[in-house]
Amino acid sequence: MKRPGLNVPSLVLALVLSGRALPAAVSPTETAPAGATKTKGKTKGNAKGRTTTTAAPLPAARLESLRLALAGDDDGAAIDAATALGASGSAGAREPLVEVLAAGATSARAQAAIEALGKLSEAHLLGKDQTTVEVLDLYAGHRAPEVRRRAIRVLGTIADARTVPTLMERLGDAAPDVRAAAAEALAARREIKASRRMFALLKAGDAGVAAPLASIATPDLIPQIAELAGTIDDGIVATALGEYVKRADVPDGLRVDVLRTIGRLSGAAATTALVEYVASVPAKDDRPSKHEAQKLLDQRGADQ
Amino acid sequence: MRSPGRLLAAVAGFGALGFAACATSPFQRAGNADDIAGALARSHPPAAPTRSLVFLVLGGTGGPRLSAYDLAASKVLWTQPTDVTTRVEVGATVLVHGTKGAGPSGTIVGRDLETGAVLWQRAMQPKERLFGYVLDGDGVFLVVQSSAAAGRPTGALFSLDARTGVERWHHELPSGRVAAPAARGGLLAVPLDSQYVLLFDGQSGLELGQVLSTEEAATFVRALPEGLFYGSRGLFLLERGTARGTRHSPGYLSARLPDFVRPVYWYDLYRPEQAEYSAIDRNRILWRVTVDGDRPQFRDGLAFVHDYRFFFAFDAGSGALRWAYGAPNSDAVASVDTGHAILFVTADGEIGGLDPITGARLYEAHLSGEMVRGASFDAEGFAPVGAAAASKPPDMLTALTSIIADPDQRFPALKLFAIEELGRQPGREVTAKLIDILQREGLAPLAYQKAGEMLVARRDAGSLDLMTAALRAHADYAEKRPAPPVEVLARAVGALGPLGRALAPDLAAHLRLPETSPAAAAEIARVLVAVGAQESLPALRDFLCLYRADSSYERDPTALVAVAEALLKLGGPTDRALLLFLAEEPHTATGLRTHLVRALGETGPHAGVTIQPTASARD
Repeated sequence: MKRPGLNVPSLVLALVLSGRALPAAVSPTETAPAGATKTKGKTKGNAKGRTTTTAAPLPAARLESLRLALAGDDDGAAIDAATALGASGSAGAREPLVEVLAAGATSARAQAAIEALGKLSEAHLLGKDQTTVEVLDLYAGHRAPEVRRRAIRVLGTIADARTVPTLMERLGDAAPDVRAAAAEALAARREIKASRRMFALLKAGDAGVAAPLASIATPDLIPQIAELAGTIDDGIVATALGEYVKRADVPDGLRVDVLRTIGRLSGAAATTALVEYVASVPAKDDRPSKHEAQKLLDQRGADQ
Repeated sequence: MRSPGRLLAAVAGFGALGFAACATSPFQRAGNADDIAGALARSHPPAAPTRSLVFLVLGGTGGPRLSAYDLAASKVLWTQPTDVTTRVEVGATVLVHGTKGAGPSGTIVGRDLETGAVLWQRAMQPKERLFGYVLDGDGVFLVVQSSAAAGRPTGALFSLDARTGVERWHHELPSGRVAAPAARGGLLAVPLDSQYVLLFDGQSGLELGQVLSTEEAATFVRALPEGLFYGSRGLFLLERGTARGTRHSPGYLSARLPDFVRPVYWYDLYRPEQAEYSAIDRNRILWRVTVDGDRPQFRDGLAFVHDYRFFFAFDAGSGALRWAYGAPNSDAVASVDTGHAILFVTADGEIGGLDPITGARLYEAHLSGEMVRGASFDAEGFAPVGAAAASKPPDMLTALTSIIADPDQRFPALKLFAIEELGRQPGREVTAKLIDILQREGLAPLAYQKAGEMLVARRDAGSLDLMTAALRAHADYAEKRPAPPVEVLARAVGALGPLGRALAPDLAAHLRLPETSPAAAAEIARVLVAVGAQESLPALRDFLCLYRADSSYERDPTALVAVAEALLKLGGPTDRALLLFLAEEPHTATGLRTHLVRALGETGPHAGVTIQPTASARD
């Protein structure tokens, strides 16, 4: 991610300079991000059909005790605090988590904080807070792959275009798990422009991108994926094509062709792809591709 | 206890024995300059060369063969089936070689030079070991060691008729520690006991003189048109002044050459295995001299190095590289300096010639489908006509780069040399090549280190854009792009001083990348301080906060300390406050906290007053 002005520790600096160094810097007053509804425990649809969880504030005392535990000496207690904050369903839980990450923490504590932010994000409580994005972006470049993977996963859930460059960059990460997380995040966001880069990874035999690529691949990419059979593990090709045929937007005629290609692939992954496709089609749906998949499965059974 | 009187008597006894030994020493005239001058006066200069031949020892699917190839006519003259082991030596009308090695089962074969037909064969006797042979005029001269008699092995010099192989005379040598001979204009030279060279009349076998090498072993003798030479790590022109050879003799010569060169001026003639075609033919110094009075000088001031696939010309006085040439496909199995060309033959059948002055190709011929095991040249003075003007000298950068890029792992020292030489060349192109080398996978650590040193030492301010591009090309698995050599690039930027500041943002960006090693991060921080890059403060803060509590830095907090130092030096009061916070925060790596307590105390407004560490920092 290109972030010339990024300065995460400015948060820490601000706290330090104001004499409110962690954990004493915590404001006892809960502040919810703009736009968050404070109706506890309720959800409602927004204008774009997205479901937004309304943020229930944590009691100030509880928030303060979790903040103290998060920054305290005991790693176990800090992790528990992070988990509690993540599960709180409270928009105010974001700030202490971001603070502890911005100030730097042990690997275990940092991962717990990132996971907690992920929970808040799943509940749509992160919004587009710039500091949160910047902190996660910073951790997406951490030396520990596990930390990067978690940060990428959370970044992927934030509906903010500023996260895309980082996700694209991490598609080229040295760690397969991080690449896979970036691919899944980009696919979930329907970032079609990531498909070429994902295809390059697939071509190199990267199994982690097979399903994400299939979910965003344009039809012109499918023959190229099919042509990889024999050059990389057939199972990876089968996974990619198998995911592709399950997409609702694929014409059934094309599905039949792709299923036949899968039928020619060796290995259990190809069989699984056919089985999964048949299972994915509703029982009352009598589309030709379903018959083709079943026929191919029968043939494979007969060939055993 | 032995009495002093008895001890004195014993010493006197040894003294007497010593005198007796001296009285019968066969080397009493060793180092006699008059003898040497007299012997040399009897030697007549060699006749002007009339041939340019190379004898090729072939293997492969065609079976073991010996071929004579005419360089001037570029054609094979004859081929004979035979398994040549010891080196081909050529006389006026006859050539000689060995088969089945130099041991008791070996055989010496004489062949007609015109046709290659066998003229005679001489099998070695049981308990005989052939050390070498040479042809001169119409004679063949062999040096043989024999263990037939009881006691120590003995040595003998044999003279045979070159056309018939019939023995003319033989001379018992005074030591069994013998070496192969050399011959020039009727004078034979035979090294003995490592430090002597005995001179004989080729017609009669009469001993004419004894050379004594006092500072260097005399492991070879070599006959050239310009004189007779002996030596080992250097070479002595045989003349009155080198009858007793020291390195201070006017006739002594050695070239200044880089470390990767094995100082092999000629074969070690005490080692019969070096009479066979072997690796020694592929890795040695090629040299010719001009003689001014009693002082030899390397011809054109150059010494040449044949190192398997590669040839180099060095200024023999300074050791400076003049040119480098790499055979494209396979090792050169043999080479010679004819005085006007460096000729070589490669294992895959290429016959080549190089201009000694420029390294340009002078000659090229190919024996298709042949596998060449070894070759001997009879091409004194050969210089291909008209080829020099048409050819182009080898490009130094291309040659050096091909050596460095060569996947062959046999030449680590040569690669280091090539990297060093490359670094000494001027121009942006060299900087680009060094950066490229540093990004190659599989580069040996020493080669990487050397390339880095050369890049840093260049201080190439004219290549800032190249370094910027390298720094911006971050590692990318999808693009199959490795991480740039950030640590080295940082040092190179630092070496530029204030000129390097323009690269500070690109360097600082690496502090936020996962592939940046702690060592690289430390180097980046130091360089950012050196160039005064205050704009890099955010990246430094990010790094410090990101890793200050990371357990992986507990053991070695060098990078954290370097970044903290950079913040202290480049930053203002806000950064001091941040560092103070980190110094007191108990999760901060212990080494960093300790450093911060000290550093903040030394640099604060009340510098010199020790800051009392908090309890956690003390812990």
